[in-house]
Parts: sequence; structure tokens; C-alpha cells
Amino acid sequence: MSEPLIEATELCVRRHGGLVLDNVSLTLGERDFITLIGPNGAGKSVLLRHLLKLESPNSGTVKHRQGIRIGYVPERFQIDPTLPMPVRRFLTLNNNQSAEAVEALALEANCGGLLDKPLANLSGGELQRVLLARALSGNPHVLMLDEPAQNLDVSGQLQFYQLIDALYEKRNLSVLMVSHDLHMVMSSTRQVVCLYHHICCSGAPDSVARDPEFVQMFGPEMAQMMAVYQHSHAHDHTHDHEHGHLHEIKP
Amino acid sequence: MMTSMFVTTIALALLAGPLGCFVVWRRMAYFGDGLAHSALLGVAVGLVIGMSNQLGMMLVAVLFAVMLLWLRAQRLLATDTLLGILAHAALSLGVVAMALLGVEDAEVHDYLLGSLDSVTADMLIYVVLGCGLSLGLLMRLWPGLLLMTSSEELAHAEGVPIRTYEFLLMLLLGVLVAAAIQIVGILLITSLLIIPASTARLMAKKPETMAISGSLIAAICMFSGLPFAKAIDVPLGPAIVTLTVGLFLAVLTGRLLIDRLRNAN
Repeated sequence: MSEPLIEATELCVRRHGGLVLDNVSLTLGERDFITLIGPNGAGKSVLLRHLLKLESPNSGTVKHRQGIRIGYVPERFQIDPTLPMPVRRFLTLNNNQSAEAVEALALEANCGGLLDKPLANLSGGELQRVLLARALSGNPHVLMLDEPAQNLDVSGQLQFYQLIDALYEKRNLSVLMVSHDLHMVMSSTRQVVCLYHHICCSGAPDSVARDPEFVQMFGPEMAQMMAVYQHSHAHDHTHDHEHGHLHEIKP
Repeated sequence: MMTSMFVTTIALALLAGPLGCFVVWRRMAYFGDGLAHSALLGVAVGLVIGMSNQLGMMLVAVLFAVMLLWLRAQRLLATDTLLGILAHAALSLGVVAMALLGVEDAEVHDYLLGSLDSVTADMLIYVVLGCGLSLGLLMRLWPGLLLMTSSEELAHAEGVPIRTYEFLLMLLLGVLVAAAIQIVGILLITSLLIIPASTARLMAKKPETMAISGSLIAAICMFSGLPFAKAIDVPLGPAIVTLTVGLFLAVLTGRLLIDRLRNAN
């Protein structure tokens, strides 16, 4: 088994006297595609920020593989309209992308037609694709997305997730994504990790949907719906599924 | 006199253009004002420890930025409240200190509104050196600063040391304030930053063109401010700022007219 790209061990993060992350361990290996779900305030974004090493935990460690490149799509992005910033310029900011590389990136992220538009004028969906193009510009090993589709309508969400899927298939990268869109997440067969300060459960969507902690968190009706969702798309029931704090992803 | 005025003006305008853009983009107008208010205290400090005005102002500017960042990090009060406290504390202390040091009111007045007589060959070295070095540093920081102005979180994730960059930007503003204050004056220094940049915003489609146009506009106004101030016998600061406002209104009118014509078609 190759060295993991990102390895978090027993992370504990305290905020305002409470534990936001309680003994969270998570490993992201090559070609993994993990979706992080959980209710609001569960610590998903905090976990992502620690995995990016933007913040330091109270205890526990985050290890990055030597020379790792991470492309990041932040949860919030709002550019001040007084800053005139065409998409093309934004994609070359603080990196040395050639004009051709920018065109290719934009095509790949499906925002080729937007290159000469000002960033402040883009719609939610357009902005997400531009941010995705920027995240891809460093040719990353890992793509990290924090609720990338939260401001999109349903068809926009579907298109965006299909785009991520296509990129995952085409490029040699791993994906770690925070998502609120349970209907999208649970209808895929990708690895799901359910977080509520600690890791409640993880595994394939169908096993997660049947997990008692998941049922307790999202309610039996939601769990039932997700299980049905998953069943109609089910392909593979052999995923490992563990319960508890320690979470390992096997290749 | 004329040559030193010319060189000073060019140096200040070159720096004021791009720095003014950041003041507009990052909403630092009040910070610039606060920094300017602290300059009088800087002059007093310079007098007491026998340094030049500019060095005294830089010292106080650094102190001002450090205190602001520290207080802000405590998360007890809003940033604009903190700025208000610091700015007016520094201004009052400055006026009191000047009075105790026996500086004449007329001289204090010159600091507040700027004066033609203050442009001396002695000052030229500070201005050119300060502005030149600052411009060099600003160009080095430019891509990272632009990225963090677009999105602090993205810049952070891509490895830009955002706290350091923010502090350096504050220092650069401190240099500009120290260099320009005797010409434009404490009360009006922020307008030299934000009015040319805002005028440029009405025309520019890229950050770089906005910065360069800002410099050009600042240069034109500072330049024509000289004969204007002499002709009607007013302090230099108000003369320059009146011109920048005039230019801003002209460009704004033009922009609105063009937009209306475009929409009509």
C-alpha cells in the first residue's frame, strides 16, 4: 500500500469550550473519493481546514505526503466588485500559467466561455466552475471542495457533481468533498464519512444509511429514503464499514 | 525647487496609484485616515528624539499598525471602533505634544493641510528612497496581495502568508503617508489614495490597468495642483484634492453617459 496523501490522526479541536473535532482520524490515499457529510455545525469545514493545515489542532497530527499538491475550492467566495478581475487574470494570479494552459483548464472545468467576463458578474454555478479551474491549475494530487454546490439549483448541482466525477475519472487525483446534498451523495457508490464532531460512521452509502448513528442524526425517514435511493443505484455491497472513531480506508 | 517638486510628485503618484487600489479593494479608507491622524504624533516623536519627521511618522505608523492588529486579534471590539479610538487618540496626543513642545499653530496647520514650502531638497531623499523601495516591494507582493484580496481563504490555502502580507501592506501605507503628508496634509491624505483609484475603477477592466491609471491621475492632479494652489493662494492639499474630485466627477459623468447610451442601443 502506498503512502497516504493526507493522514489525520486523533485530531481534537476545541472552540468556545466545546470539542468541535473529537478524536477524528482520517486517511486519504491515492485515487480515494471521500464525501464528508453531517449536520450544520458538525465540524466538517473545520476538519477540512485542518486537513489543509490552515489551522493547528489542540491535539493530534495531520501529515501530508512529501511534495503533495492540493487544489482547494473554498466554501465562500465573494469578490469585492470594486476589484476588476476578469476570469482569465484570476486563473493566472500568483501562479505561472501560460495562456494556452489557462484555455485548456477552462475547457476542462467547463468555463471556456467565461474567460473574459469579470469575476464579480458570474452566477453561482459559473463561479464554482471557475474556482474548480483554479483548483486544478496546480495539477493537484488532491481536490478538496467545501460544499461546492450549495448555491446551485438542482440541475446545476447534478452538472457540477458530474463534472467532478469526470475529472476524477480523467485525472489521476483523489477527491475529498464536504457536501450537504445527501440525495446526490447517497446515490453514488463513493465512500461516505459521516461526521458529527466525531466520525459516526463511514463506508459505502448503503451501509451508512443503515447505520444507527446516521438514522439517529438525520431521522428514520431520511435514512429510509437514502437507503431506497442507494438501493436503486446499488452496485457493490462489499465495501468495508466500520463503526467508531478510527477510520481507515483500504484500497 | 521646481525639480525637487517634480521628482517628489512623480514618486508619490507612482506609489499612490497601486496602494490606493488596495485601499479601495480592501476597504482600508478608515485605516488610511487613522494612519494619517497618527502622523502628527510622529512629528512630535521625531522632534523629541531628534529624528527626521519622516522617520518619526514611520515609527508611529508601525506602532499604530501593530496595536491595531493586536487589538483586532482580541476580538473584543469591531475594527472600525478600534480604528476610531486609535486614530483620535493619536491625533489628540499629537496636538497636545506639539503644544507642549512649543510648535507654533501655523506649523501644525501646515501639517494638517499641506504646504508648498515644505517641499525641500532635504525631504526629497526620504520621499524618493521610501517610495522607490516601497514600489519595489509592492510589485513583489502584487500577485499574492491580489489573490488574498480576491479571497483570503484561497490565498491562505495556496500558501500566501496572509498575515505578513497584510502587515506589509499597512507598512507601505505608512511609508506613503509619511512621504506625502507635508504636501497633501493629514486631513486629506486618504483622498489622494482613494479618489484617483476610484476614478481609475470607472475605466479599468483589469487590476493592473486600474493601478497604473490611478498613478497617472494622481500625477496629473498633484502636478496641476501646484500652479493652482499658487494662483489662488490656498494650501497645496485642498488644491490637489479639488482637482482629483473634479476629474472624478468628469469621468463619472462620462461613464454614466456611456452606460446609458449602451443600454439604449
